[in-house]
Amino acid sequence: MKKFGALLVGLAFLLVGLMPSAGFSAKKGIVIGFTMSQTGKFNSESKEQFQGLKLWAEQVNAKGGIYVKAIGKRLPVVFKYYDDESSKDRVQQLYVRLINSDKADFLISPYSSGLTASAAIIAEQYGKVMMAAGAASDSIFNKGYTHVFQIYTPASRYLTDAMDILSKVDPKAKKIAIVYENSKFAKAVCTSAKEYAEEKGFNVVLFEAYDSGTTDFTSFISKIKATNPDAIIGGGHFADGETFAKQLFEQRVKVKLVSLLVAPAVPEFAELGKAALYVTGPSQWEPLARFRKEAAGSKGWYGPSSQEFIKAYKKAYGYVPGYHGAGGYVAGLVLQKAIEDAGSIKADLVKRALERMAITTFYGRIKFDTGKYYGRQIGHSMVYLQWQEKGGKMVKEVVWPLEAKSADLVYPFSKKY
Amino acid sequence: MERGKTLFWLIPFLVFIVALPPVTGSVTLREGIFLILMYVTLASSLNVIMGYTGYVSFGHIVFYGIGGYISFYLMLRDGMHLIPAMILGGIGAALAAFALGEAVLRLRGAFFAIATIGVNEAVKALVNNLNFIGGAEGLFFNFSVYKAYGGAARAIWFSYYTMAAVTLITVVASYLIKMSKFGLGLRAIREDEDAAIILGVNAKRYKSLAYAASAFFPGMAGAVFFFKAGNIEPHDAFHLIKSIEMIFMVMLGGYGNVAGAFTGALVYERLKGFLLVNPLFKNLHMAISGVVLLLIVLFMPQGIIGFIREKSKKLRGVLE
Repeated sequence: MKKFGALLVGLAFLLVGLMPSAGFSAKKGIVIGFTMSQTGKFNSESKEQFQGLKLWAEQVNAKGGIYVKAIGKRLPVVFKYYDDESSKDRVQQLYVRLINSDKADFLISPYSSGLTASAAIIAEQYGKVMMAAGAASDSIFNKGYTHVFQIYTPASRYLTDAMDILSKVDPKAKKIAIVYENSKFAKAVCTSAKEYAEEKGFNVVLFEAYDSGTTDFTSFISKIKATNPDAIIGGGHFADGETFAKQLFEQRVKVKLVSLLVAPAVPEFAELGKAALYVTGPSQWEPLARFRKEAAGSKGWYGPSSQEFIKAYKKAYGYVPGYHGAGGYVAGLVLQKAIEDAGSIKADLVKRALERMAITTFYGRIKFDTGKYYGRQIGHSMVYLQWQEKGGKMVKEVVWPLEAKSADLVYPFSKKY
Repeated sequence: MERGKTLFWLIPFLVFIVALPPVTGSVTLREGIFLILMYVTLASSLNVIMGYTGYVSFGHIVFYGIGGYISFYLMLRDGMHLIPAMILGGIGAALAAFALGEAVLRLRGAFFAIATIGVNEAVKALVNNLNFIGGAEGLFFNFSVYKAYGGAARAIWFSYYTMAAVTLITVVASYLIKMSKFGLGLRAIREDEDAAIILGVNAKRYKSLAYAASAFFPGMAGAVFFFKAGNIEPHDAFHLIKSIEMIFMVMLGGYGNVAGAFTGALVYERLKGFLLVNPLFKNLHMAISGVVLLLIVLFMPQGIIGFIREKSKKLRGVLE
């Protein structure tokens, strides 16, 4: 019987660990709570994003913190974060903890749209502003959340700028072929691109999906040749995009613009040599993108320049950041701007400041949807890069948007033959 | 102590745990206990097929995913209330298990374990490609769904109590199964299936029923969990790692033992939860929990409860 009592006591002790730690002294800083995927499948993206965010906090704290007008002084930023293991199991538990035990004032979302949606329910319930970094889905932004603000350009606008490029450089080009991988992401992107093209008066002459893992595009290329389009857009992932670009080159397909998802943004794409030449593709951000203070003008510049950011990031981590690192940094930067504008750390005031926000940063424009898709990013647009040849070497250049370009677009694509 | 008294302490203890968050008013505590309850449900139901019958179902999480998807779809499309949707999710999972059991339960040992992994991956791939249930992107609730339950805060409390009820039913059911003639048949199958058949145990029927029973409760747990999470994706619904965690909890507490599955789930969740938020260990939690678990398995292969049962004759009756 004694042992049994001991067993029960043992089990009860285990529960004690659950009790929230009590006692919290006066406000020493602005607590920003989040979970990151230190383990599991989102590990590398999440880590890079965290590095960006951390760099931002270090820079802010080096200046004494964020100036909060309501209390007339600077408050340093304090991070509270846990590992969510890239899994939904603990996301809600940890966000509840961040809000109640750690007294987080603001939240940053986990990586990926699914985890963000789970965390959003908690953020919403407690009325906490949450910056969604690393969630590019549109579908979580018409779900009635009113405290979640997206940093990335949503999937629906990944390829729409290709049409804008065409209208700008060649208003006569009207025929578009869309060939895409039959995956959820590519399908969502290309369906939106098709709607946009038709809305803008383009003629979508081909709209076809290929299976994931396709290695022979002959039948698609025959169809493309038969419809004689001005531009080809689509793609999916790296391997299929690379193969598609290669076979377009081998078959000497003569079009004016080729724009593919994912593959052109990957450095290994250069190994295709001439087949990669003049292929364009969208990216959330590129180190080469030169959004300039002067060009931003009335739209209001905020934060460091691209060069300053890259230099600081390289100094801290030893390499040039990709878009995840930039996204993490900007999530912090946007929050900082909103707190400064609101002059307070009260959630509803900061929320209103975010609604009003229209700024340009090194990462591009930032503006949030306040309509049906509340919180969705509508200011930021994809930058388009193009593979060009310089001194016999393949180089990536940013060609769009014009205010951020590092080189002029080489047009038409068929110039390379 | 007499035999058959396990539930006399297990149920009050469970009720005590469940009552802690509303009494203390702590939502942080509630979140932790919600996970404990879910893990107890998963471990206790896996115990029926794995512990009693001796069939190690490696991909058992598939039933949690199936139950979750069925109920989520019903709640999203038809605006069904959580409770009926959850029961339908459980029934769907049980039916799926019964049908699958007819095929995979013919296999024994490692072949069965591998086949169940295959089933999980196949269902995941299928769901990934079914557009009407959201494909790879999954399904998302509109936040207004929770209005029917009195707002998100109340909906989460509601899902907490629902999970508590599911857990209670699971623990009682797993105890009753073990103590019944059916349970005796299952244990006979575990010890020697051929001998059991010769002695008149309808092994095929028994195994299928045990498999269906062990799928019913995870199906309901999945329904509650994804209701609370507000969205469901194939990657989370059919998460193989969680399947392995379930096996681990059963092994940790004690194979084939009602109090064992319960204790295993409780200890595992607390250990992981503690390491995850502890400032000292939070970057090393995976490594540390791995080492701790390895030590337990090496030195207490019969699990915590099995170990205590072995050491104390008196306690055997209350630790079934």
